[in-house]
Amino acid sequence: MTFIEMLGFGQKGWAGLLLGAALLTICVTATALVIGACLGAVVASAKLSGSRSLRLIGHVYTTVFRGVPELLIIYVIYFGGSAAVTAVGSFLGYTGFLGLPSFVAGALAVGMISGAYQAEVYRGAFLAISRGELEAAQAIGMAKGLRFRRIIMPQVVRLAIPGIGNVWQLSLKDSALVSVTGLAELMRTTQIAAGSTRQYFLFFIIGGCLYLVLTSLSDRVFQRAERRANRSMPASMGQA
Amino acid sequence: MASANRLLVRNIRKSFGTHEVLKGISLEARDGDVISILGASGSGKSTFLRCINLLEIANEGEIWVDGEQIQMTRHHGQNRPQSQKQVDRIRSELGMVFQSFNLWSHMTILENIIEGPVHVLKRPKADCIAEAEALLEKVGIADKRHAYPAHLSGGQQQRAAIARSLAMKPKVMLFDEPTSALDPELVGEVLRVMRALAEEGMTMLVVTHEMSFARDVSNRVIFMRQGVIDSDGAPQDMFGSNASPAFRQFIGNFGA
Amino acid sequence: MDFPFLLQTMKTLLAALPMTLALFLLSVSCGLVLALLIVWMRVGGNAVARNFAKGYIFVFRGSPLLIQMFLIFYGLGQFGFIRYSFLWPALREPFVCAVLALALCTAGYTAEIFRGGLRAVSPREIEAARAIGMSGGLLVRRILAPIAFRHALPAYSTEVVMMVKSTALASLVTVWEVTGVAQRLISQTYRTMEVFLCAALIYLVLNFIILQAFAALERRLSRHRDTAPRPLPNAKPQIA
Repeated sequence: MTFIEMLGFGQKGWAGLLLGAALLTICVTATALVIGACLGAVVASAKLSGSRSLRLIGHVYTTVFRGVPELLIIYVIYFGGSAAVTAVGSFLGYTGFLGLPSFVAGALAVGMISGAYQAEVYRGAFLAISRGELEAAQAIGMAKGLRFRRIIMPQVVRLAIPGIGNVWQLSLKDSALVSVTGLAELMRTTQIAAGSTRQYFLFFIIGGCLYLVLTSLSDRVFQRAERRANRSMPASMGQA
Repeated sequence: MASANRLLVRNIRKSFGTHEVLKGISLEARDGDVISILGASGSGKSTFLRCINLLEIANEGEIWVDGEQIQMTRHHGQNRPQSQKQVDRIRSELGMVFQSFNLWSHMTILENIIEGPVHVLKRPKADCIAEAEALLEKVGIADKRHAYPAHLSGGQQQRAAIARSLAMKPKVMLFDEPTSALDPELVGEVLRVMRALAEEGMTMLVVTHEMSFARDVSNRVIFMRQGVIDSDGAPQDMFGSNASPAFRQFIGNFGA
Repeated sequence: MDFPFLLQTMKTLLAALPMTLALFLLSVSCGLVLALLIVWMRVGGNAVARNFAKGYIFVFRGSPLLIQMFLIFYGLGQFGFIRYSFLWPALREPFVCAVLALALCTAGYTAEIFRGGLRAVSPREIEAARAIGMSGGLLVRRILAPIAFRHALPAYSTEVVMMVKSTALASLVTVWEVTGVAQRLISQTYRTMEVFLCAALIYLVLNFIILQAFAALERRLSRHRDTAPRPLPNAKPQIA
């Protein structure tokens, strides 16, 4: 088999599978980003809250999920999640092993890690909002909810975009580790292609290049978003 | 309660920790009064202003706005507003202009001005925009309506902030050192707007270091010193020959 | 809670700790040396070297570490000239491959961090050094490097903690470090939570010690300041 055949879209070619796998990688990362955004918002508000115990919980969350190897977290969610699903199954009268779908386990694990980083991003963004602007909102008679919706949220989102971009890149690379659960995302598919053709070097290079395409494309997307969000900033700050 | 009292403050006390900043301040502002509050930094004048619209909660004292008292309860020996709803409503009736402008940086000037009327007062947006444009015309920055605050000079930002407060149709305007953060050449344009407001009959409380404004525009001058009102009177008396020694020394430092 | 089991698990995991530490220490020190070389090329006058460094940083930061590790572990053996070279006895060792991949990858991140540190050196400080007759190596050694290192320290400490976590990937090329052993224990005992707690504790203690060491170093290097420096955001810096 020639290289062209191996890499083509034909019956024995891997191109279609690899591109599909890249799409799955994006899906895992995007799902993780959404899960992480919800978790991150909750954890950030816990860390900013007046209650000491909430702050402690938030602190423990970010310390654990930023400090423990991603791979270990993926194992725990995958195996632990499957055990939990099996337990629920047997409770409902279903005997036998039930697995947590690897997509769900993977997105959840990467999402929980992403949530810890996003929490720090949102906290930083909140602290960067000018106190004076919040005071002006109070002084004009805005109630708490209105202040949050009209003044805090839009600014947190704007200030958080660069940080979220970093978290996205991190999650994109973390998603490669989900391959250990057998999910045929880009890393796993590259491995299968390399193993079944015995062209390890070639396929890992191709897989790596596809990841580079994904990271640099998403980098460009986030840079554009940042420029758009910063149009209210002076030119010198918009560049930063 | 005399209905002509736009603002009535009785015996306000405020401490930060063990340091008592305000030691019993009372003040009465009638409709159309323009009251300048002078004093060295640390005399408590800004804190006093911030207590009026409850950005700081006074430990003791009463505040009445247009005949309505702000309800307080005692909680661990501290005053606390009884109803946040009332506080928010009262605040919407008091305009506040800050030393550092505090325009919302993510909104254009026009959006800043209509924000309160549309979302707090829940008035129709089209009316608010029409009024906002008139206000921008009045403070002289109509051409900046779609610019963001960061692209304006300090003087323009402060005039926009004044327009933002006026858009709420406040009963009293509070100015907290509105020109202190400005370059000297930009002070005049802000003072002109404030003078025009005074001439229209707006009730104003102005914490300032601008002696000429206090003397020429206001109808009453209050001099605060170490948390109490040292002297209080019409500008011609205060700046005249029978000024208190402390005030005389204070204005002496300004070369007025 | 089953304390004898936890104790037994802890013992088994701690037996793998020396392997994790060896991976970590070797790859961080090799990566540091390599990073200095790359940052020197990146900011130097030679256009070829500069572009090579740019490409290096782009590739190693833009693709997942796992694919880099697999490329080295599976890919290199495919080539006859490597298999018959004097390097083969080393390159066939999973441990060597893991260290190599970890070092190459962290060098990319570290180079970018140090470049950021260099950019934070004010031109006036350099001018002042030139004014008293410093140039070349002396200027770099006495002025540029110390100031840049001080600026880069917070971000570098984050990168070093990331490296602790990255050593977990070595288990996927059959190096039995802590995460690999934990995974084996989980699949043998199905007691996911207990094993996770023990393994997480080991990593968190390790991170804590590293961060304390960096904090001490930072205090030593910032004796000239009155107030503590602001910590950098914890996410990795963006792709260049």
